[in-house]
Amino acid sequence: MDRRSFLRYGALAGTALGAARINPDFFFSSAFAQESRPLVFLSAENITGNWDPTAHTTLSQTNIEGFVMGYLTRAPMRPEEPDKVVYELATEITELDAHRLQIKLREGVTFHDGKPFTAEDVKATFEYGAKLDRPKQVYPGGPETFSVETPDDHTVIVDTSKGGYGASLFIFLASYLPILSAKDVAEGPKGPLSQRLNGTGPFRFVEQRGNDTVMEAYDGYFRGAPKVTGVTFSFVGDATTRMLSLMNGQADVIERLEPEQVETLEARDDIKISRLVSVENKYLWFRCSKPPFDDWRVRKAACHAIDRSMIMEIMGSAGEASSNFVSPIKFGYIDLENYPEYNPEECQRLLAEAGYPNGEGLPELEYITSTGFYPKTKEYGELIAALLQEQGFPVTLNVMEVAAWNERLYDRPGGGPGHMVDCGWATGSPEPDLVLRTHFHSTAKRICGIVDPEIDAALDAERDAPSLEARKESLQTNLMPMLADKAPALSLFTSVLIHGMRTNVEGLFIYPDGQSDASQTTLG
Amino acid sequence: MFILRFLARRLGQGAIIIFLVSALIFTLLRVVPGDPVRLMVGGMAPDTLVEEIAAEMGLRDPIYVQFGRYMGKVLQGDLGESFVRPASGAAVGGASFDDATRGERAKVLDLIAETAPMTLQLAVLAMVFALMVGVPIGVWGGLYPGRLPDRLALYTSSLFVSLPNFWLGIVLALLLSVKLNLLPAIGYRGFSYTILPALVLAVEIAPFIIRTLTVSVAGVMGQTFIDIARVRGLSRNQIVFRHALKNSAVPLLNLLGVQFSMLLGGVLVIEFIFDYPGLGLLTINAVMQRDFPLIQGIAIVTAAVFVLINIAVDLLATAIDPRLDY
Repeated sequence: MDRRSFLRYGALAGTALGAARINPDFFFSSAFAQESRPLVFLSAENITGNWDPTAHTTLSQTNIEGFVMGYLTRAPMRPEEPDKVVYELATEITELDAHRLQIKLREGVTFHDGKPFTAEDVKATFEYGAKLDRPKQVYPGGPETFSVETPDDHTVIVDTSKGGYGASLFIFLASYLPILSAKDVAEGPKGPLSQRLNGTGPFRFVEQRGNDTVMEAYDGYFRGAPKVTGVTFSFVGDATTRMLSLMNGQADVIERLEPEQVETLEARDDIKISRLVSVENKYLWFRCSKPPFDDWRVRKAACHAIDRSMIMEIMGSAGEASSNFVSPIKFGYIDLENYPEYNPEECQRLLAEAGYPNGEGLPELEYITSTGFYPKTKEYGELIAALLQEQGFPVTLNVMEVAAWNERLYDRPGGGPGHMVDCGWATGSPEPDLVLRTHFHSTAKRICGIVDPEIDAALDAERDAPSLEARKESLQTNLMPMLADKAPALSLFTSVLIHGMRTNVEGLFIYPDGQSDASQTTLG
Repeated sequence: MFILRFLARRLGQGAIIIFLVSALIFTLLRVVPGDPVRLMVGGMAPDTLVEEIAAEMGLRDPIYVQFGRYMGKVLQGDLGESFVRPASGAAVGGASFDDATRGERAKVLDLIAETAPMTLQLAVLAMVFALMVGVPIGVWGGLYPGRLPDRLALYTSSLFVSLPNFWLGIVLALLLSVKLNLLPAIGYRGFSYTILPALVLAVEIAPFIIRTLTVSVAGVMGQTFIDIARVRGLSRNQIVFRHALKNSAVPLLNLLGVQFSMLLGGVLVIEFIFDYPGLGLLTINAVMQRDFPLIQGIAIVTAAVFVLINIAVDLLATAIDPRLDY
């Protein structure tokens, strides 16, 4: 053996010995380890970057709040029992009279920062959440319309005499806004509220790491520490990527499945599907503050041009037929007899009456929709545009990616962009006013921009009803039929919330707005 | 002295290229529809507020004024702050105009510094995989022009170049991650998460390496000095590995320089599919959110990297073949 060969063989032997010492786990094993670990939840929507629960109406962030925050009550909102309320931080809610509501609070609960939960927190939350400048203003009127008394640390009395509306409105709202710490509220919207979540829920907010919201189990949770070590809630924009993550076990739960994805996933033994009729209706919003949709006859003509049964065929399992402006699991829902159905003759009659026979004289109309977030928007958008064109509406469909659509969504002074917009609205409470008042009262009119004193009066009348029964009657016989006549929007269908999860995920309760309760969840 | 003159000249040219790229991107971003201020303030804010904030931020000034101001800061190493991302780096949207976190937007340079190493890791691994596949096939094909190895090289590269990367990404993820559970596919929680996207990228690059090597090796093997080497009594292995490969390396090196720079931009689709937190994913989100400073920052950094890599490649090529004059 010569010197060169010796060196060559020596180097090879050294490499062989060294290779044996490399830990291959570094390269391959970590992703599929099955030890005790957090629940991984992939979301289809990004968050706002401001943690104040009253500062946004973003669903994904509301879902995160569901893990971290505590609520006075929770509303499971199952179709068989839509009005059912489960007590959480409240132990009892009593209507003392039409304008006074007494809420008894759970004792021995603490916030994640160690502060004990008391009546002052509920008072602070009610007053802060009712402020008219909060983007997610949730109570029936501003803080000046009600007062909150705290006779002791665990009793709250809400008095709505000043506002003239029934105190019962607070019953459903109690399951909508999470309870904030009075200490955080005292420092205002630019204080710690916006920097992090501090609640009484089963998981403690740890940090936002890129697109991952990291939460860990809170040992002091009043119903006992959760069984999983935490929850990692991540925004993953692509639907196929989310599905692949679920299939290879990197994700435990994914949301907003497309109907085609459901078929693929249902064929697998290691994945199960959860389907829930949601609180979300999908709407075709008319821009009511500018021509031609400032005329109710043109709006209603457009409604009669649309065959919703064809939309349901496109939606498949991701949609459920409904005939009202709120979801069937909301308080007061009824299939409206006068809800506009497909009727080309009536459409033409109304168009002619409005001065646009066969659509002649109508301006070019823009119909804005999004793609990438809601299922099948582009597909049924094309159908709606074609049906409207068939009746003479000169409609152009404008399909936008979510950010651009979001930019054009809301009403503005002088009317929002375009003439029609596609959007859904979901609120995690049976309270119908979170949709109806938000969109159709002239003080809010988020998207359609309608200003109609009759609708305002009908909304105020149902809000001011002295009891839940009287309110239901007012909703079903006055407000809802009136909305069907004036058609500031057309509710197309109710969304079905479809989640995919690994079969080893047990005990995860999903609410119809997409929030989840993972306090009893195990990863078997 | 040659190197100093070379560097001064090429860096000067590079600076002009970066300036032109910045000007182009800056102008285009302001011409396309989509007002970033509307996204910042939230959809519900009135137009007057949008205009007020836009004016405050200088977004209603003439484009050349905005560009001058921007470049002034870039020269001081300040690429500005993201319009929408908070310091945590999360991709955000839908915030209200009264958002208290606006004061702590993420710095563009920080966002790029966090994600660029991830993309670099992906690009280097993809290049290693591509070389592992491309060099043997390419050299073998070049040694036997017109015969089976050459045809094999041609078919392989044709097959690879015809596979759309988004399709291959999904198929490989299904096969290697879902079916065989060999590799993780989505996100990043360790080195193993880089392997699958790197494989997909490697399939994209390998055909260029194979074709370049086949042609250049075949060309070098036909030259007189190779015939003379045989006469000198050198073995075939010595001729191929010591003489032919070295001479065939110059075109490959140039190609690798270009490919590597292309990779930094070409990872967009792959990073989106694999949710890989690199520059590509950052760019896609920035475009979707009309995050102008971030898009501009990424464009400038990418252009700078492109220029630097090409300078390095030319220097290396000169070192290998001193006859070359750049």
